[in-house]
Amino acid sequence: MEQFKKKNLIYQILPLVSVSALILSWIAFSLATGGIIFPGPASVVRRILKTFETPIAGMTIIGHTLISLKRVLTGLFISCVSGISIGILVGSNRYLKATLGSFLEIFRPIPPIAWIPIMIMWFGIGELPKILLIVLGSFFPVMLNTASGISLVNKINLDVGQIFGGSKISILKEIVLPTALPSIFSGIRTSVSCGWTVVLAAEMMGAQQGLGLLVMKGWGINDMALVLGAVIIIAFIGAMFSYLLKRAERLLMPWNR
Amino acid sequence: MDEKVKVEHLTKKYGDLLVLDDISFSIKKGEFLCIVGPTGCGKTTFLNLLTKIIEPTSGNIYIDGIPADPKVHNISSVFQEPSAFPWLTAEENIEYGLRIKKYDNKYIKEQSSKILALLGLEDYKNVYPRDMSVSMEQRVVIGRAFAMNPDLLLMDEPYGQMDIKMRYYLEDEVIRLWKVTGSTVLFVTHNLEEAVYLAERVLVLTNKPATIKTEIDVGLERPRKVSSPDFVEIRKQLTDMIKWW
Amino acid sequence: MEQIKTKKVEVRNLSKIFFQKNSSFEVVKDVSFDVYDGEFLVLLGPGRCGKTVLLNMLIGTETRTSGEIHINGAESGKPSPAMSMVFQKKALLPFKTVMENVELGLKFQKIEKEQRRKICQKYIDLVGLHGFENSYPHELSGGMQQRAGIARAYAVSPDILIMDEPFGALDAQTRYQMEEELLQIWEKERKTIIFVTNNIEEAVYLADRIILLSSCPAHVKAVFPIELPKPRDLFDPEFLRIREQIETQTDLSL
Repeated sequence: MEQFKKKNLIYQILPLVSVSALILSWIAFSLATGGIIFPGPASVVRRILKTFETPIAGMTIIGHTLISLKRVLTGLFISCVSGISIGILVGSNRYLKATLGSFLEIFRPIPPIAWIPIMIMWFGIGELPKILLIVLGSFFPVMLNTASGISLVNKINLDVGQIFGGSKISILKEIVLPTALPSIFSGIRTSVSCGWTVVLAAEMMGAQQGLGLLVMKGWGINDMALVLGAVIIIAFIGAMFSYLLKRAERLLMPWNR
Repeated sequence: MDEKVKVEHLTKKYGDLLVLDDISFSIKKGEFLCIVGPTGCGKTTFLNLLTKIIEPTSGNIYIDGIPADPKVHNISSVFQEPSAFPWLTAEENIEYGLRIKKYDNKYIKEQSSKILALLGLEDYKNVYPRDMSVSMEQRVVIGRAFAMNPDLLLMDEPYGQMDIKMRYYLEDEVIRLWKVTGSTVLFVTHNLEEAVYLAERVLVLTNKPATIKTEIDVGLERPRKVSSPDFVEIRKQLTDMIKWW
Repeated sequence: MEQIKTKKVEVRNLSKIFFQKNSSFEVVKDVSFDVYDGEFLVLLGPGRCGKTVLLNMLIGTETRTSGEIHINGAESGKPSPAMSMVFQKKALLPFKTVMENVELGLKFQKIEKEQRRKICQKYIDLVGLHGFENSYPHELSGGMQQRAGIARAYAVSPDILIMDEPFGALDAQTRYQMEEELLQIWEKERKTIIFVTNNIEEAVYLADRIILLSSCPAHVKAVFPIELPKPRDLFDPEFLRIREQIETQTDLSL
C-alpha cells in the first residue's frame, strides 16, 4: 500500500515539474533573446496590469476577457442545445439520419474560418456574425458525438425498457441519454476548444473589443507582451473550462469513475 | 517418477493482503492435474504467477529443475474466452506457435495435420475464426496449445460457457489430445464434476488466503461415467470440502 | 391431490425464419407448449440457436413468422405488464444504482417514489442485496448482478417471469448458490417461471417440467415432468438417472 501511495505522489508532482520547467525555459529564452521579441513572464504581467491604468479601446483586460467569454458562452450554449437535440434526432431515427444527416454532412467539412468573409458580407461586423461563427465552429463535434453515443445503446438495454413498459420518451430519458452522456461530454469538450479557436479568429477580423482585438493590436504596434498576455489568458481560460467540465462529468456520471 | 514442475512455498501478498499462502506441490511429467477451489480463492493470481505475468512475494517455480522462465520454457495457456487469431485460418492458428519457435516446415505440417485429425477438424482447416462457432474456435485454440508440445499447459475453465453435452465431448477430446501428445496439463476449474472427470489428481485449494487443503487421487478407469457410484463418491467428497453455497 | 391446472401461456405452432438477401435461416420450428399457473417450466436446449429468439417472441420484442401465443387466454404480440424478464448478462443499466435499476419498471408505471422504493426494498432484501442499494453494477460480482436482475423482474409483480439463461455466465459454484436461492424465492412468491438453460443439471434441479428443444432450428423434442421433491439432491441416484436420460436425448451442437 505504501508503495502505491508513493507512486500516486509522483503522478501529482510530475505535472508541477513540467509546468515549472516550461516557465523556467520561457524566462531563459527571453533573457537570451533580449526580451523584446520574446518578453519574459514579469514583463507580461506588468503589461497586463498596465491595462488597468491605460485601458485599451476603453476597457481593462478584464473587460476584454469578459466580452470574449460572453461570445464564446453564448455560441456554445446555442450549439450545445441545438447539437444535442439534433444529435438525438439523428441518432435515434433512421429517416432523419438519412435526410438531415447527409444534409449536415455537406457543411461539416467546411472550416469555420472559411465562413468569416461570408458572415461579414451578410451580417457585417457586429455581434451576430461572431456568435454565428462560433456556433458554426462548435456545433458539429457535439452533434456528431451525441448521435454516435445514442447509436451505442445496446439492443438488450432497449429491450429492457420495452419489457418493463417504458414509453418512447421515458426510454430515451432513462436509458438512451445516460448511455450517450459520456460521448456527449467528449463532444462538448471538443466544441469548447473549437469555440475558442473561432472566437479568436472572429475577433481578429474587425472587432472593437475582446481578446482577439488585443492580439491584433499588440501585433500592430509590436507590443509582444500584450500579445503574449492575451494568449496566456486564453490558455488559462481554456484550462479552466476543461477542469470544470471534468468536475461536471464526475458529478453527472458517478458510475463512470 | 519424473518431476516436471515443482512449486515451492509460493506466496503472494498485495500490501497487507495475503492472497496465496505458502503453496508447494509438484506435477509429474505427462500428468493431468486439476486445481479446484471455492469461488474467489485467488486462482487468477495463482495462474498469473505460474505464467510469470506477476512475480511472487516469495517462493519459486521450477520446470525441469530450472527456475521457470517464459524465455526458456514453453508455457501455453487456454482461457475461458476463445482467443484464436482472427487473421489466421484454423490450420495457421494451430501452426502459429511452432512457426514462432522456428521449427522446420515439414515438422510443422506433420504436427498440425496430426492435431487437426485429433480434433476432427480436417475439413475446416481453411476456415477463419469469424466463421467458427464458439466451441470450434476454442477447440482450435486448444489444438494450438497442444501442438507446441508445451512444457506446461495451463487451462483456465476453458469450457466454462459450454452446455453439458458439448462439454462432455470436449472433455473427451482434451483427454485424447493429452494422451497422444503426452503433455503436462494443469487444469483450473470451479466445476467439481469436471475435475473428477478429467484429472489424475485433484489439488484442493482453501478460501483466501489460498493454501493447499488436500489432494485427491482419482484412480478411476477411463472413460469415466459421471453417474457411477465411485465417481459420485469422489465428487461428493470434493463438494463437502469446498461447499460454501 | 391433483390440482386443476390453469393454463397461463399457450404457444401454438410458433416459427421464426430470418430472411437474408439470398437465403433464409430457420431458428424456431413449429413449437407448441403450455405453461401452467405457478409452474416452474424449463426450456432446455443445446447451443445458442433458437432459445433466445423463442423467448423474445414470447415476451414480444421479436416478431414471429407464424404461430400463436396466448397469455392468460388473450393473444399477445407486444410486451405487457403480465410478464417480465431476467437476462443472461449485461442487462443492468450501468449508470443506475441497484435501487434505480430495480425500480425502473415501477418508475415507468409512474408509481410514486416513496411507494416504489418500499416495494423494491422488499425484493432487494429478498434476493439478499440489502446494503447494496446504492452500489453500481460494476461494483458487484456476477452473482450479485444477477440477483439485482431478479429483483428488478419481481418488482413489477408480473404474472409470468421469463429467465433467459440467467446463471449462464456464473461459475459452477456460484451457480449452485443462485439456483438454491431462486427456488426459495419461487416457493415464497409462487409466480409462473419460464426458465431457459443449456445446463441439464440445472434444468433437473429446478424444473417441474422440462421441455427439451432440439438444436437448430429449435423444436420440441421431448417433455419430461420431474416429480422429485424440492429441494433436490444432486447426488441422488434418481436425480443422476434422470439427468442421464435427458442427456442421451439432447442434441450435440458443436
